[in-house]
Amino acid sequence: MIGNPFATGSATDAAFTAAAGRFFELLKTFTTPPAATAGQTADFGALGTQLAGQFEQWLKGSSGAGAAFAAAAGFPGGAAGWPPGAVPLGPAAAGQGAQAQNAWELLMKLGTLQGELARYWSEIAQDSAQRFMARVGGGGAADLTSERALALYETWVHCAEEAYGATVRKEDFCRLQAELANTATALLLAQRRQADTLARAWGLPTREEADALQRQIRELRQQLAERAAGSSANPSPRKSAARKAAAGKTAAARKSGPKATARGRRAAPRRARSGGKGRA
Amino acid sequence: MSDSATGPAGLFVDLGARAAETLARLRLARDVEVGCSARRAVWTAEKTTLYEYLPLAGAPRARRRPLLVCFALVNRPYILDLQPDTSLIRRLLGAGFPVYMVEWGDPDDGDRQRELNDYLEQGLGGCVRHILAAHGIDSLDLMGVCQGGVFSLCYSALHPGEVANLVTLTTAVDFQTPDDLLSKWMRGLDTELLARAGNVPGELLNALFLALMPFRLTQHKYVRLLTGGADQRAVEDFVRMERWIFDSPPQAAVALMQYVRWFYQENRLIRGTLELGGRAVDLKSVRAPLLNLYASADHIVPPAACAVMGRYVGSRDYTACAIDTGHIGMYVSRRAREEIPQRIIGWLGAHAGGARARRRAAR
Repeated sequence: MIGNPFATGSATDAAFTAAAGRFFELLKTFTTPPAATAGQTADFGALGTQLAGQFEQWLKGSSGAGAAFAAAAGFPGGAAGWPPGAVPLGPAAAGQGAQAQNAWELLMKLGTLQGELARYWSEIAQDSAQRFMARVGGGGAADLTSERALALYETWVHCAEEAYGATVRKEDFCRLQAELANTATALLLAQRRQADTLARAWGLPTREEADALQRQIRELRQQLAERAAGSSANPSPRKSAARKAAAGKTAAARKSGPKATARGRRAAPRRARSGGKGRA
Repeated sequence: MSDSATGPAGLFVDLGARAAETLARLRLARDVEVGCSARRAVWTAEKTTLYEYLPLAGAPRARRRPLLVCFALVNRPYILDLQPDTSLIRRLLGAGFPVYMVEWGDPDDGDRQRELNDYLEQGLGGCVRHILAAHGIDSLDLMGVCQGGVFSLCYSALHPGEVANLVTLTTAVDFQTPDDLLSKWMRGLDTELLARAGNVPGELLNALFLALMPFRLTQHKYVRLLTGGADQRAVEDFVRMERWIFDSPPQAAVALMQYVRWFYQENRLIRGTLELGGRAVDLKSVRAPLLNLYASADHIVPPAACAVMGRYVGSRDYTACAIDTGHIGMYVSRRAREEIPQRIIGWLGAHAGGARARRRAAR
């Protein structure tokens, strides 16, 4: 059996608890719409506003949508509280000015873009609430049965998904999202450059050096593979005869069906080190 | 929900009790296992491992051509063998197919520069060559799933002689159809910049996939678990799915950015401009009989992205079929249990003899 690499059982509990909490909150809103006045008459127009407000908060904070965009840009939980760059210390302080300035500018740009994104969340929330109110009309929810509660919830999810889908497909939104991801990545790289400056000052290998080493290893591996392929393409006469024999056996095996031949097995490029039986 | 909950107060009492009950069931299901068929590793290179599934006891020992399953890089392939009642692998084994599976492994920092061509030639190609040698045959049957289907198409185009029959599941060929939200989001990404940033954690990709339909995928499905009266077995099935959904490997930086740029941004596969390892990938070179199964309600790979495959491949024997389900439903829904294995097994059975046998039968 396959092990559980991320132990997601507890994550499922948490996701379920959060979704159930949000569901209860929605039902509470359905059952107790805001009163228009102190006269206690339910104001279903205000219900839309309340739903939109709650929904906007969820969009901004939920891992399902709002925060996902920040996370997808490389910064889990968004950029709030994230330092504008490594603190210049000791000998590394010299020459850090331009780098720090660049990182700061990128951070400011990211903040502006996130502000623009927040406007879209607001638009989605308003649109969802309008769609929902239009669909359920002024139908009160004072005597909410189980069936009615679920029907309202299904309608709400449908409206929210519709409103969300309409906004996130817009060209402007797609452009903004890409810009957000690109800016966050540029900021990450700017921070890395600052860290590299410090690493250099402390005599540690930098990211660039590690990358260069990896490229070198990769090239060497390719050269080795090419040499191996070259030597097998020009075999010695003895090896060539053996290959012909193998080809004969392979042809014979083909006639009798797709069974493994001993030669064929030996021809395998490389055996798995852990070839024992067992479940994955 | 019980009929007794007729007023708001009763409703909340009822729901509260159900929530507590469901949570207790989720906790009991925490250590549920995934993957049900016995298998062994038979070949490995870099982080790629080829597994061979062991034949099922009592399965017919038909002389079948081996079937290699190539899954996507972005998810784990055990979804195809999640549990006995939904396992496509088990059904294939039950029909007597020797089944192999490529597992790509988790790229680490040393794999940042790994390219798509490395996955295709060293990874998939290595697996194919191993199976051909082990069975002493010229060609095998290849089944590609999602992104693995794209790899399978590319491989079949570059090595047409090695693939006797090709099956694709939820495989896009046109990456810029109007309904492709993922594609719209990818268009403006600076792939050079992102490739420099390093490998992409699986959690980030998950967040992106969830953001395609956030309410259904992060709220609604849990509420349905609460209100649907799920028993312990249904909860365990749910947890298995959850585990798979959130168990995403990281992505090698360069390979992912090549995929985004060449496929999503430049749509090279159908424009005929894709090159891998310096060789042009021409879909017209895919001449093997091809079965293309896709989901009609797929939010990740829209049906329109898959349905046009027949226009671009060179296969004269081409069958396409839209299955009435969603992306994940293709692997675990009731249809996945019935219709999809039946179609694949039936189609592969009908194509077991290869081109020569089909020509003879046609005469």
